[in-house]
Amino acid sequence: MDLLFSLVINGLMLGSLYAMVSVGLTLIFGITKVINFAHGEFMMIGMMLTYIITTYLGIHPYLTLVFVVPLLFLLGIVVQKYLIEPLKDSDEHIQIFATVGLSIAMINLVLMLAGSNNFNTPSSGLRETLGLGAATVLTGQVVIMLCSIFMVGGLHLFLTKTQMGRAIRATAQNRNAAQLMGINVSRINMVTFGIGIACVGIAAVLLSPLYPVNAQTGQSFVLIAFVIVVMGGLGSIAGAFYAALIIGLVDAFAGFYLGSSLKDVAVFGIFLLVLIFRPSGLFGNARKLAHVS
Amino acid sequence: MLKKNNFKTVTLGSLVLATAIGGLATQAVADVKIGALYPLSGGLALLGEESYRGLELAVDQINENGGVQGETVVLETGDAVDNNQAIGEARRLISQEEVKAIFGTFSSARAIAASQVAQLSQVPYFELGAVADDVTERDLSYVFRTNPAASNFAETIINMLVESIAPELGIAPSELRIGIIHEDSNYGSSVAKHQRTFAEQEGLNIVMEEHYPASTVDMSSIVLSLQDNEVDIVLQTSYQDDSVLFLRQANERGYQPKAIIGAGGGYSMTPTANAVGHEVIDGVYDVDFTQFAINPDFAPGVEEFVDAYVERFGESPRSGHSLMNYVGGHAILSELDQASDLSATTIRDAMTGIDIPVGTTAAGIGIKFGENNQNERAIMMGMQWQDGELVTVYPEEASVADIRTHQ
Amino acid sequence: MNNKTASLTSVRGTGSVIQQLLNKKVLLFVTLASLIVIPIMVGDDYIYHIFITICLFAGLSTAWNIVGGYAGQLSLGHAIYYGIGAYTGMLMLNAGVSPWISMFVGAVLAAGVAVAISYPCFKLHGPFYALASIAFLEVFHVISLNWVGLTGGANGVMVPLELGWSTMVFSERLPSLVIVFGLMSLVLAVSWAIRRSKLGFQLVATRERESAARGAAIRTVHVRLYAAAISAGLTAMLGTFHGSYLTYIEPESAFNLTFSIQIVLFALVGGLGTVFGPLYGTILLVPITELARGWLGSSAIGLHGFVYGVVLILVVLFMPDGIMSIFQRYLPTSKGRHVDARDEKSTHHVPLNDVKKSERAPVGEVVLKVQHLDKHFGGLHVTNDVSFNLHKGEVLGIIGPNGAGKTTVFNMISGFLSADSGSVEVLDENGHFISPKTPGAFARSGVGRTFQIVQPFAAMTVEENIMVGAFYRFRSVEESRKVAREIAYELGLSRFLDEEARNLPIGGLKRLEVARVMAMRPRILLLDEVMAGINPADLREAIELIKIIRDSGISIIAIEHVMQAVMELSDRVIVISSGEILAQGEPEEVVKNEAVIEAYLGKEVTDASTE
Repeated sequence: MDLLFSLVINGLMLGSLYAMVSVGLTLIFGITKVINFAHGEFMMIGMMLTYIITTYLGIHPYLTLVFVVPLLFLLGIVVQKYLIEPLKDSDEHIQIFATVGLSIAMINLVLMLAGSNNFNTPSSGLRETLGLGAATVLTGQVVIMLCSIFMVGGLHLFLTKTQMGRAIRATAQNRNAAQLMGINVSRINMVTFGIGIACVGIAAVLLSPLYPVNAQTGQSFVLIAFVIVVMGGLGSIAGAFYAALIIGLVDAFAGFYLGSSLKDVAVFGIFLLVLIFRPSGLFGNARKLAHVS
Repeated sequence: MLKKNNFKTVTLGSLVLATAIGGLATQAVADVKIGALYPLSGGLALLGEESYRGLELAVDQINENGGVQGETVVLETGDAVDNNQAIGEARRLISQEEVKAIFGTFSSARAIAASQVAQLSQVPYFELGAVADDVTERDLSYVFRTNPAASNFAETIINMLVESIAPELGIAPSELRIGIIHEDSNYGSSVAKHQRTFAEQEGLNIVMEEHYPASTVDMSSIVLSLQDNEVDIVLQTSYQDDSVLFLRQANERGYQPKAIIGAGGGYSMTPTANAVGHEVIDGVYDVDFTQFAINPDFAPGVEEFVDAYVERFGESPRSGHSLMNYVGGHAILSELDQASDLSATTIRDAMTGIDIPVGTTAAGIGIKFGENNQNERAIMMGMQWQDGELVTVYPEEASVADIRTHQ
Repeated sequence: MNNKTASLTSVRGTGSVIQQLLNKKVLLFVTLASLIVIPIMVGDDYIYHIFITICLFAGLSTAWNIVGGYAGQLSLGHAIYYGIGAYTGMLMLNAGVSPWISMFVGAVLAAGVAVAISYPCFKLHGPFYALASIAFLEVFHVISLNWVGLTGGANGVMVPLELGWSTMVFSERLPSLVIVFGLMSLVLAVSWAIRRSKLGFQLVATRERESAARGAAIRTVHVRLYAAAISAGLTAMLGTFHGSYLTYIEPESAFNLTFSIQIVLFALVGGLGTVFGPLYGTILLVPITELARGWLGSSAIGLHGFVYGVVLILVVLFMPDGIMSIFQRYLPTSKGRHVDARDEKSTHHVPLNDVKKSERAPVGEVVLKVQHLDKHFGGLHVTNDVSFNLHKGEVLGIIGPNGAGKTTVFNMISGFLSADSGSVEVLDENGHFISPKTPGAFARSGVGRTFQIVQPFAAMTVEENIMVGAFYRFRSVEESRKVAREIAYELGLSRFLDEEARNLPIGGLKRLEVARVMAMRPRILLLDEVMAGINPADLREAIELIKIIRDSGISIIAIEHVMQAVMELSDRVIVISSGEILAQGEPEEVVKNEAVIEAYLGKEVTDASTE
């Protein structure tokens, strides 16, 4: 019983971490219809920034949010404007390769600048353990859990209650109609991409005290993030959240009962089953982005 | 007429192109050229470069003392990013740089791919750092290895456990519950395979064995399994990220086995200790190539090596890989200095003459090539993290401190 | 040498010397020859290695292109097949079987795996297919790591260095180059042959517009499975070779995502879906990387990877159609096929007088029976108990307000939708009534249709578009081409033959739609608003055209809004409103029907009918 409880807690903690990484990816896909293969690299850049700012300014890692999130937002806008937007009428292959190219370039740029070293952001008390019955969690993990809920809720409010949010949803539902209604679609796409990247920036800051970062870090997360986004129903933010929790639990249970070597088979196996039998996702229900929450 | 001209132009064009590509080769000078084949970019670059630095220091020292047979040794680097690339770079070093021998390689997979090229071209290939057994198990007459292999890792780990750690704990070795965890590439798998064999020979009780991809982001389920199986002794073979992750998560979940013994990689590196926290890593064991806190009587020259390293690169050695490469490279180049010429067969035959006893090199290892051209005097060191430092504790004659067991 | 001089002479006198030299065929020949000649002339092992690498990747990219380019399925998991080939070769060599044999075993295995993987995935498109292929690659990676008994796990498999042609392990480099060059040439030849064959046309058509391809009786899943199997088999053969070349294979390098991406990258830079693009892409990129490595030095970690990424981004942004698009623009083809004399004369307008007119045969027996069709979309009853018959040589007009469910009925009588209840029976060539279920089955039973929203195969030429239809009746490419030209001529599309369909005006696209269906020689033709949006002059000709089609004995059902056409062409008219048949009968009768006028026609058409 204690064991089960521990596994569930582990799974949920891992799941909310995955959720933070995936939310931006699903938002970007939902609106701009582009699968961002460089998503993990944006997170890696965010973690590098967090490390640099924390060590040079000697401030608490969470305070770097003030720098990292706006920076990544701008980076997202630039990428959307100069790389994705010019390709909006191109073949899907071409769009995929634009982001694959971006991913390769970013990884290697960081390798050039920082080498293949690991960088550890100071944990600043975020690795304190909290007893939770039989399970133990870290303060940093609890923060991630809470933040992932806030992030999903916040995005939901943003998309449903604000003018900009409604414009974004309108664009997702029907690009042409939105254009006719006087919505500047390319601006919406830019903002959306920026927000999606800013989301992964938040994830990067919160992850930094718990995980070391190197040039390849993004790669470790991005495949799982794709799995989650597809399972949740592409573009569905709430779907991604639930899917992330499910994958977190699968990860924890498969890791324990099947062994770490085979847990990837479980995760990717579930992914393939979903993709083949329910391509709209477990929570997508073919409603697509009409319900971005 | 027209036909002929066209054909000429085409041929000429191909020639120009060919020479342009061929022109990559720089003109050879009278120096002795040696190939240095390491992964210098990509995921293995950090320790690849660390290994290369050791060879550089060996060459520096040889050159200061008059070079090899009166000629200056020049290193030509090759970047072995992947297996196909390792072959390409070996070919380039051999055919274009016309190196007399190739030294390398840190990564076992690259070594296996590249050594085959050297063998077929009949150019001597000296492996100074890759541990997989396969490197020397193909009966290649031009391929030599100075460093200890995966089996040495496992043997030293099990011996240290049986001879030192268990007595210190006051528990019979066969009563200890042992768990083996390792990353799933060639390195982790070969060491773990031998750990199992040697442990079985010693009649030890392995209760759990598990492997994971080195890029994993969560090892809490492994920690839970270890706890669930009541594992006393954890043997981990890992790179850096996964060493850090495991030590952190084990600590945070309150898992305190009687001993954790790492096999090289991440466990030997100071950044690992910094990331995990010195109070957490304190008491953790590590078996690896010789590191720097070793009895200088057993490893004469180790202090000078560290000084030379700091002077040359402006920082302390990041791991013992540089030392192992230095010792191997230095011993071979010194032997070549004695040889009559530098033809491949002379080099190959000269190697049988090397006879360096254990405890006389800067890494403490001896060198004598035995069966399959594997150095049969290659040994591993047992170490423990004590007060923020990785000190040698095993074998007795190399140790600088006693084993400390936790309560 | 003979070939070279021959191809040089063949183009003599058609332009300047430089142009001759840059002729595409000559370029290809020179390129291929230099892949062998340069290393032999230089005689350096390293140069051999580079050229072996070029041939290897050119072969892999070309093989990938069959499924990734022609069929448009972006596989990022092709390393699976490479790995299968490599492992099969290594394991069988250790068991004493020569790679020359295991190569084919690996190819068959890989083809089988490709079919098994692809079958469930082909309903996925673009990024989804790419993600699924990555997931499969990960699964294979994990399996190869864990199935230690077979694959040796992480330690991989080695072969002993026994030299010779039977083991494919050599100490000199020329034999390896010859083998890989041979394999690459084989892949290129297969790829070239596929592109020019019926299969190639069907693949491209499926990629461009799946529903239209199904309408043209293409078994879209089958053709893509063939492509996947062929591509995987060829990839595996190259994998077997490379295994022997490396003499060592491990999961890390065999089932590697970066490797997969590299294969695709070369094809992309060369030109997706072109026959020789992947070859040129590889020839450009491999030496660039090697030179970069030499010039930039290995000390700069990540520099060449960075250059790779940036090149990829630049290609995508500024040259998305790859190097081949540049060749296309600046190099003449030696084919020299331009508009022939007959096409030159033909104009945009249908030369009606040239087409022989047959007497219209009387309306014959029933050829299509539709009974009690019912269809719901959610709570919406879109088709409610629709029944009608179509007779041989008859034109049946279907009219009704927008959203009445006309196209839904069409979809059900051409197999694109299945009805909730009711039946559709078609009289087949042997005089039996059959009930086809799929678009392909309907097409085979003689039902051809056009789409309300035109569905051209955008990247194919007009001729190729029509050929896709013609392939249904004719096996050979030449015959199909002939038929396609005849039909294009009849429909006034001759001067567009070499134009890509995407460049056609809307009127031209509507004709193309009809032409493609007519090329299938249907006995029953379903026309979905072919008159909509064309100008009055063209309308007249379109009506005449349909009359000619009708007079040749083809039965027609036409959904139409243009009342002039409905009134003039239809023998009978069915009015559908809210999914039900409101009225049917002769056009004049129907338009006088009170209910119909009320529901739909209105005053405007009442006027038209009294004209």
